Amino acid sequence: MKRQLALIRFALGSAHRRTGRTLSLAVALALVTFGYSSVLFLTEALRSEFRLAATALPDLTVQSLVAGRPALINEEQLPAIASIAGVVAVQPRVWGYYFVPAMSGNFTVVGVDTDAETVRRDLSLVMLEGKLPGASGEVVLGESLAAFLGLEITDAVTLPVGRAMKRLELVGTFRSQVALWTSDVILMNVADAREFLQVPPGQATDLAVLLSTPDEASVAARKIAELLPSARIVDRQLMSRTYDLTFDTRGGMMGGMLLSALVSFLILAWDRLTGVGPGERREIGVLKAVGWRTGDVLIARLWENTVIAVYGAVPGILAAYGYVFLARAPGLAEVLLGWSSIYPALRLTPAVDPGQFLVLLCLVVIPFVAASLIPAWRTATHDPHGLLRGAA
Amino acid sequence: MRTDQHAMIQATSLSKRYRSGHVEKVALCQVSLAIPRAEFWIVSGPSGSGKTTLLALLAGMIAPTEGEVVLDGKSITHLRDHHRALARRNLVGMVFQEFALVAGMTLAENIFLPLVPQGGPGETERQRVRALLERFGMAAYARTQVERLSAGERQRGAIIRALVADAPILMLDEPTAALDTENVRIMVDLLLSLRAEGRTIVATTHDRRLTEDPRLNGVLRLVDGRLER
Repeated sequence: MKRQLALIRFALGSAHRRTGRTLSLAVALALVTFGYSSVLFLTEALRSEFRLAATALPDLTVQSLVAGRPALINEEQLPAIASIAGVVAVQPRVWGYYFVPAMSGNFTVVGVDTDAETVRRDLSLVMLEGKLPGASGEVVLGESLAAFLGLEITDAVTLPVGRAMKRLELVGTFRSQVALWTSDVILMNVADAREFLQVPPGQATDLAVLLSTPDEASVAARKIAELLPSARIVDRQLMSRTYDLTFDTRGGMMGGMLLSALVSFLILAWDRLTGVGPGERREIGVLKAVGWRTGDVLIARLWENTVIAVYGAVPGILAAYGYVFLARAPGLAEVLLGWSSIYPALRLTPAVDPGQFLVLLCLVVIPFVAASLIPAWRTATHDPHGLLRGAA
Repeated sequence: MRTDQHAMIQATSLSKRYRSGHVEKVALCQVSLAIPRAEFWIVSGPSGSGKTTLLALLAGMIAPTEGEVVLDGKSITHLRDHHRALARRNLVGMVFQEFALVAGMTLAENIFLPLVPQGGPGETERQRVRALLERFGMAAYARTQVERLSAGERQRGAIIRALVADAPILMLDEPTAALDTENVRIMVDLLLSLRAEGRTIVATTHDRRLTEDPRLNGVLRLVDGRLER
């Protein structure tokens, strides 16, 4: 331990003495670490966001398809689905996207039946302030959306519905761990939602099916498909896996693109480290001449490059954290989110998997430190006499 | 091979050849010598005669092509790199012609360099170095970066570093090359005081101020890699 501490002290001194080399390597390492960390942080945050959102989805969602695209579903199908073994409840849902031209943004309008006890209970868990929407014209917004619009409870806003205008009063706000919901969801009673979204009575956006045994969702889905051959049945577990796959694929693509940066960095590192200059060769010669063993030189070099790796990787990781979770990853978020634009801007909840640091360690730090050992070993195995005379 | 029981440094039939492509250069040829404990010997000779190569062989910094080196009764010739490094640290204190101090480090950091792999200096070593700094008139420069020191100061610093591990043998390569007469006198006096404490000293030089000094124990003359008798 005492020996290692002495070697670390020496390595720190060496890193500070060779300021130019230390700085150039640390900056290059910081840039590569920043790129990789940003992709990892953003992918994991989005994955965890969608995973969390998926837990609130019904076990099965039944949508009607017309020409291969989702269409309104007829509520007549409800009793037949409810009679399938294992189905606990079937709920018609009215929700959809409402475009506000003045803001060039989509909001998600959700009709809630506040007479239903389960809806009341669920909403009371997330209510932040105010009351549930009851009468026509009353709305509840996610806290981020309310803040974005600058609305407070009792404030009113007028929005276009077709050619007419409708006055809405904010009666409450809610919060959720899922930033996506608080960013763009407007809750109102079902009748108002039908009016906003132009969903006629007797029809719904989709049907939410709750099962007694969610693990057997595929069996219930097959029976529903037999009843409604043209319907699309979305399995919650399947959806979670799809999201995971999507972000894994996109994260992997970004990682692949960053591979070239990593390779460039390793080449730079190799160049700087293999180019052991005359001064460094002489220093290794001095160390060996005064009794250092080859192993001592290598351990000192290992610590020195670990110090550089820390100097580079830590600011890179911290900058990536700020870039993703504070600055909202401009430029990168669009790539990972694909076509969709989330408005108002999505503020992600920080989600960091310790495994990500292991990935970073394996991809960036370990190759860098390992790359430094080979040239140091090649130099340190020469005899000190040759190194000091510049002959080795 | 017969080993001289009183010799601190013994070399037997020492040869060193360097190969460059198909050309072989003989740097040292069949050199045998025995230097008793607590003596101060000079290896002299013109430039290129093999003085530095001989010193490097005696210090275990290079391996001979033929022959053997025995220090304090232990052969260092067939030791692996690991053990030869330990022999260099524990038996030999080496002072190089250009002092081999690490630029950017203070004098104290340079002096303690040999001790880093064993965990840095303990209290005994610190006391020894404090005493040596005082004795060599270098106490005021301990925290000075070595590149700010004069040649004489750097050389004295290099000698203190060679003594930090309390090695019984001190070897110096061209110790007077960069010194004026006054500094040569100071240095020789210091080396003689070290000899008086029991250290065995070998220095290479072609400087008459040293080779003709009657206080030294003897001079070995190298010409074209061979010892003149």
